[in-house]
Amino acid sequence: MRLVDVGKSYRPGAPVLTGIDLQLEPGVPFVLHGANGSGKSTLLRIAAGCETPTTGRVESRPDVVGYLPDRFPALLRLPARRYLRHLAAIRRVPAEDAARTGEAVLTELGFSGEDGEPMAALSKGNAQKVGLAQALSCGADLLVLDEPWSGLDDAAVAALDERLAALRVRLLLTDHTGTAETLPGAQVRRLGPGGRLEPGPEPAAERERVRVRVEVVFRSDPRELLDRLPLARVEEMAPGRLVVRLPPRHSDAWLAAALAAGCSVRDVVREQV
Amino acid sequence: MTPGPGSARAAAALAVARMLGEDIARSQRFLVPGLLFGVVLAVLFGGDPGALPEPWAASALLLYPVGAWLTHSVAGTEDDVARTVTVTAAGGGGPVVAGVALAGAAGVAVLSVLAVLWGLVAGFSTATPGILIEGLFGHLACGLSGVAVGLVCARPVIRSLGRALLAGLAFVVVTGTRSWLPPVGTAVAALGSGRGGVGVFGDVLLAMALVVGAAALVVRCEQGWPDEWGDRLEPVRRRLPRAVRDRFWPE
Repeated sequence: MRLVDVGKSYRPGAPVLTGIDLQLEPGVPFVLHGANGSGKSTLLRIAAGCETPTTGRVESRPDVVGYLPDRFPALLRLPARRYLRHLAAIRRVPAEDAARTGEAVLTELGFSGEDGEPMAALSKGNAQKVGLAQALSCGADLLVLDEPWSGLDDAAVAALDERLAALRVRLLLTDHTGTAETLPGAQVRRLGPGGRLEPGPEPAAERERVRVRVEVVFRSDPRELLDRLPLARVEEMAPGRLVVRLPPRHSDAWLAAALAAGCSVRDVVREQV
Repeated sequence: MTPGPGSARAAAALAVARMLGEDIARSQRFLVPGLLFGVVLAVLFGGDPGALPEPWAASALLLYPVGAWLTHSVAGTEDDVARTVTVTAAGGGGPVVAGVALAGAAGVAVLSVLAVLWGLVAGFSTATPGILIEGLFGHLACGLSGVAVGLVCARPVIRSLGRALLAGLAFVVVTGTRSWLPPVGTAVAALGSGRGGVGVFGDVLLAMALVVGAAALVVRCEQGWPDEWGDRLEPVRRRLPRAVRDRFWPE
């Protein structure tokens, strides 16, 4: 899929985007940086197909597109799971598959809304989780995610990291939390003044994924302990001993929680994955 | 056989109509226009309604603004951001606008059947199959014309509620009170005084064409038609006297 010479202007006013050329390949996440109001969200809407560019064109966009808008307010009265069902029908994807994946995403992210609760009544974090579930559950060949980490709690951030890292589809995203560029193979570009695409802060394609391996010992039951700690990937679990692997920016919070829970830290190692 | 692009878009439109229909049913925003119509039916057929189809002229005329109101509510049930998700899922604005029209038309069909059944019960002695069909088609013609008006006077073309109300009301009053003007004027006249222009069936066909035309207009507007025309008319604008230009046609 390619964007060719895409421009957008809202009248009256200066052009928001000028001469954007970009190509999206499966397995190469395309991360877009830029100041507030620099046109990132507009570019994402054009790529997703819900806005028409003033000039230029989008070539060979896949049929099924998963799109998460920059804020997912959803003032709808539909409950979350009904909404997911309806969207699967609108996308014409198999209802059962979409429902199963959607449910898996909601569980991973720790969605805690009531079953019959209208979407309008959901908290920001829970609404964001529904937004992610609708985008990630449709088996899309193109995912366009605008600030997917915004409003999520620590456990959900870690779960989303894992899920996105495992994807091998075309992925276009904006992110100001610095997580997106740690995705494997990520390509970072910047939207500069006048809405032109500039090279990113550094060639991130060669950057490798870093994880922190933490080993702790303790006296209590390991399962009980894990319930009280933030979500993490458990590498080894034995009575009195636990090894987890964490993204660097979650490691401090996890260590603090582990110390507070009465654990003793044996080892902390930074690893290249 | 794999479904072609046309049937895929129709399926998407139907799915959009179902989602918006369920949401508007849960939000109960259909209640006010629906109740208004029900109350007027109760007044019309309450005492001695007179011979059919004459009382239907009033309810059919009322279904014109009620159809527009319903459709406006359906079009506004999603906020702009949620709508971007729906447009992306449906693969374009066309199926979404068509879905809004379908949901509005379904509401109009329910109210039309209600009006005809109520008339049948109240004026049983004067009802014939021909008159029933005339009554149903007359209501559908007016209601579907209302759907067309409601589509244009709503998101994404007119976002402000006040402007939508003013534009819609003015258009409905002007076009609904001309008895020679199809489809609404002639359909109401056919029910009221028996004078028909193109016949109620012709009126229904015309109203359907209006809905399709209105939907196409909305889709084109969303794709930036106003800006294209602004560019094309720019030379005309530049030739106007500065005072007129700045006041009535700012850049």
